[in-house]
Amino acid sequence: MQILSKEVIFLITLTTSIFLIAPIFLIVYVSLYNKKKARHFEEKEALKKTFELELLKSQFEVQEHLMETIATNLHDNIGQLLSLTSITLSAVQTGDSVADEKINTAGQLVLRTIQELRQLSRIMSGKELTGKSLGHAIAYELDWLKKGAAYEVLFTDNTSRTVPGYADKELILFRLFQEILSNIIRHAAATRITIVIDQTAETLSLRVKDNGKGFAVQEKISAGNGMGLFNISKRAKMMNGTFNIYSVPDRGTDILVSIPYL
Amino acid sequence: MYKYLTANTVTEMICLLVSVIFLLKDRSAYWRLFMIYLFIVCITETGGIYLRNIRVHNYGIYAVFLLFECSMISTFFYYIYRKYHHRISMFSIWAGVFLLVYLTELFLSNFKAFPYQTATFMSVVFVIASLYFYLLILRDEKFRKLGTYPPFWITNGILFYYFGSTACNVFFDYLIQHDHSHAPNLSVRYIIFNVLNMLLYGCWSYAFICRYYQRKLSF
Repeated sequence: MQILSKEVIFLITLTTSIFLIAPIFLIVYVSLYNKKKARHFEEKEALKKTFELELLKSQFEVQEHLMETIATNLHDNIGQLLSLTSITLSAVQTGDSVADEKINTAGQLVLRTIQELRQLSRIMSGKELTGKSLGHAIAYELDWLKKGAAYEVLFTDNTSRTVPGYADKELILFRLFQEILSNIIRHAAATRITIVIDQTAETLSLRVKDNGKGFAVQEKISAGNGMGLFNISKRAKMMNGTFNIYSVPDRGTDILVSIPYL
Repeated sequence: MYKYLTANTVTEMICLLVSVIFLLKDRSAYWRLFMIYLFIVCITETGGIYLRNIRVHNYGIYAVFLLFECSMISTFFYYIYRKYHHRISMFSIWAGVFLLVYLTELFLSNFKAFPYQTATFMSVVFVIASLYFYLLILRDEKFRKLGTYPPFWITNGILFYYFGSTACNVFFDYLIQHDHSHAPNLSVRYIIFNVLNMLLYGCWSYAFICRYYQRKLSF
């Protein structure tokens, strides 16, 4: 075997160097392509999120419109009919004291129905309620709640101003409050409900706490039973806000929703 | 003692130390295998130096080590391909082909030479396997941060080592002659393999550290 010349050694060294440089370029290419893929992935996720939020907004608007329509119909049509019924009943004079008393009672019941109907239509028409202030709307809803069930309700309103142009946000927060309250009534078996609304220079927050039976949050989400929670969380995110829930079985639940309010 | 402390052995021992520190409590047996493999690497390297010092051919110890090397790298590729739904049959076929080539070369040389053709063949397969892994990463819809993705850095090390050693494997016969005419520590083959070893074990050590932090963060 011939002893190697310097040229062959140089050739082997050069080849090895090239063979080492080639993987570097390949690794750089794979890394750059991967970064491009990451950007594409992020853009896709952002688009998906925007689409979901738009869908949620549309759903909310449709729902709000439907509730407004029902509230208007209740107030204008059925309310008017009941008013006419009340007037008609008050005009009836039979001369029979027993019959008159019964007609009078029926008239009183119709008046109470009108009153209840007006309250209901106002609750359904969120815009009208939150038009004054979020605190006013929540207090109105709580009055309605106190009539139906025996809850110890503690409401603290720490808000001092309404920011013009943020009525929609307040309305969504009010609807979230209604959903949280409805969940407490249906599932929590609570006796005391504490509601606090707070306002800082940048945020508006709603805190609802109950002393009900509570639940394991993670288990609920894992089991796929947390649709209500998921919807509340999504709506909070729709407003670029945050949603936090702390719940311990047999100890109650504490929910905090916070939205930017600049 | 100093004779055993070469650039190669020091690099390998550091990598073994890193693997013990960062992989000892790893949940995956595949990753823990690296510790055993690196221990075998250190034993082989030390044994090789010892045999050279007492002027006995050390190709035998490296020929046996080739089996461990092929098993470890192939098992690793099987482990990372498994995530992409590859079957064990491919692994078994490769193991069969490798053993056939390895034993044939040993028989043909009457067990008196290092099976460098098998080593060359194995290098080519591992280079292709590394490139295929890159292809899988590119085609994968799931995004991974490659800068800290341990299998990516293990594969980078493998690619550097086996692709870089191609020229040495092709000119193995010539380089052995050159080795005989120079001091062992000054031969081109020795210097090239030192550089390749540093790249391989450097990449692997980094992968072990990434793996450790990945495991810590997943808790």
